[in-house]
This record gives sequence, C-alpha cells and structure tokens, in this order.
Amino acid sequence: MLSTIVKPLIVALLLAGPAAAHGAFVDVEKLDAVGIQARYDTGAAMAGAQVAVFAPDNPAQPWLTGMTDADGRFVFAPDDRPGRWAVQVRQAGHGAIGYLEIGADGVASAFIAPATAAGLTWTQRALMIASVLWGCIGTALYFRPTRRIRQA
Amino acid sequence: MHVPDGILPLGMTLGGWAVAAGLTAVCLNRIAAQPDPREGLPRASMMTAAFFAASLIHIPVPPSSVHLILSGLMGAMLGWYAVPAILIGLALQAVMFGHGGLTTLGVNGVILGLPALGAFALTRGLGHVTHPVAAALVSFATGAGAVALAVTLFAMVLLAGLPAHLDAGAERAAIMALALAHLPLACAEGLIVAAVLGFLRRTNPEMIGAR
Repeated sequence: MLSTIVKPLIVALLLAGPAAAHGAFVDVEKLDAVGIQARYDTGAAMAGAQVAVFAPDNPAQPWLTGMTDADGRFVFAPDDRPGRWAVQVRQAGHGAIGYLEIGADGVASAFIAPATAAGLTWTQRALMIASVLWGCIGTALYFRPTRRIRQA
Repeated sequence: MHVPDGILPLGMTLGGWAVAAGLTAVCLNRIAAQPDPREGLPRASMMTAAFFAASLIHIPVPPSSVHLILSGLMGAMLGWYAVPAILIGLALQAVMFGHGGLTTLGVNGVILGLPALGAFALTRGLGHVTHPVAAALVSFATGAGAVALAVTLFAMVLLAGLPAHLDAGAERAAIMALALAHLPLACAEGLIVAAVLGFLRRTNPEMIGAR
C-alpha cells in the first residue's frame, strides 16, 4: 500500500527536475551591447520590424532574432567572435542590412549601414534628381525627330 | 514598393533577372519591328524621368506612407518601350537613392513591368472607346489596375521568398497592411492616368495609343 503511494511520488519528483526547487537566482553582468535604430528613408521609424543578427562564421542561420521597438530600436550583445556581423532589419519586404566589424580584441568598430537616401541632404537630393532629369531631357533632345530642322 | 537587396533568396533574384531579360527581349524585338524605332525614344526618355522622380514623392497613408509607381501611365503612354524605361528608372533609383537594389532589379522590373504591359494591352484593346465617360473609366481602370497588379505581384514574391527564421505571421500581417495602404494610391494613379489621357485626347490624340 505504502509503495503504491511513495513510488509515484518519487517518480514525480524526479521528473519535475529543476521546477522542484523553490529558490531562483538572477545573475547580472555588464556587457558591451550594440544598439541599432532602423528607419525608412522618409525618416519614419521601422516599428515592430523583424531583426536577424548573423554571426561572422554563419551567414546562413541567424545567431539572434528579435523585433524593433516603437522607435525602431534594437539592442543586442554580440559575443567575442571577431569578424563582420550582419544585422538585417525587414518589414513587409522593405529593409536593409548593416554590418558591424568586431576586432580580435573584441572591440566593435563603427556600424556600416548601406547607403540610402536617408543620409542625403535636400540639396544633394535635388542635385541628383536634377542631373537625372537633365540626362533624360538630353536623351529626348538627341533622339527627337530632325524633320523640322531639315525643313528649316 | 521596391524589393531591396538581401530580402529574397538567390534563386528568386536570378529568376527575376531571367524573366526581366525575357520581357525586355520581347519588348526590344517589338520596338525593332516598328517602322522607326527611334521615334518613341524622346517620349520614353521623358517618361523615364517622370517615373524616376515619381518614386521620390511620398504620399502619407497612416500609419505608413506610399510613393507613386506610375506603371499604368508608363504602359499606356509608352507601350513596348515601358519595360526598358522602367528598368532604367529602377536602376537609377537603386544606384542613386538606394530604392530597391541591383540584385533585385530583375524582380522589381517584373513587378512593375508586367502591370505596365497590362495597361498597354488595356489601352490598346479598348482604344476604340470614344465616349468621354467610358474612356475616362477605362483610363482609371488602367492606372488603378496596374497598381493593384503590382502590389499583388510584390506580395506574392515576398510570401514565396520568406526565410524560415522569420516570423511568418508577423511578416504576412505587415505585407497585408502595406497592400491595403496602396488602395488609395491605386485610386490616385487611376485619376492621374484618366486626367493625362483625357487631356491628351483633347489636345494631342496621336500621343495616346502607344505602339
């Protein structure tokens, strides 16, 4: 009779494993973290965008995945693997990949973001647009029918 | 609504290039078969400029913003010239402003080129409609339908190329929200095409009916 009660109890305790413990501990350590902020080229934050961090030795499988906050921010602490870490942020098919170089001493160098219109001033944008428009106008003028000129 | 670099798997980007190359070859053949292929180049060049600049005009559609696409107008105005013009415009946007990407140029060319050819077919097929209201409705459908088709292709490509590590549910919801945000744009582009073609019908009818 006793064994029919005790045996299941022992089995249950063994299966319960760590959950049988009542105490819990949290270890805190200070890490060197990397923070990014993802924005569209309109300046709007990419809120709730999906983030995938790729370690230098495995560019196929993400080392970490997560989501940006309402301001488009995401913070992670890479381990000490040196090399080029890639951080991809995407939302509804839009997104970008930035790279972070971590040296052999474990120190991260500057984050290399891809060139987008977000880093351009309005003057630069206007000049670039004007140059393209002028190129198109020049092309149109070059290929315009020359009948009128011949008649003149 | 340009797919940037690094979003799609390699196979899809290569496939996009292959389809875009095929589309371009067909269009160039059709252009070469015309009596004077150079005749359409000035118009194609000016429309490329409009296409290039249009993508930089953002229209706020809360909570996000969309930009003009003009595939329908390109197809209605340029016909077979539309696909090469769109590819050139996309390449310039990718190189100068980082809109889209060079690896995804083929995919983006297909996403915007096919609706342009659809608009061309609709404009040519219903070119005999002369009643002003009916013609305006056809033009509206051309512009709006091209945006709807482009958004549909965009969503299909993205959904087909979702990587395994991504939260598929969240990405599907984001794509759906983006597609819905393009509904007002479809109406706006329908109105643009109706206004432009309506104006040309009154002032310069031979400019319509791209060949």
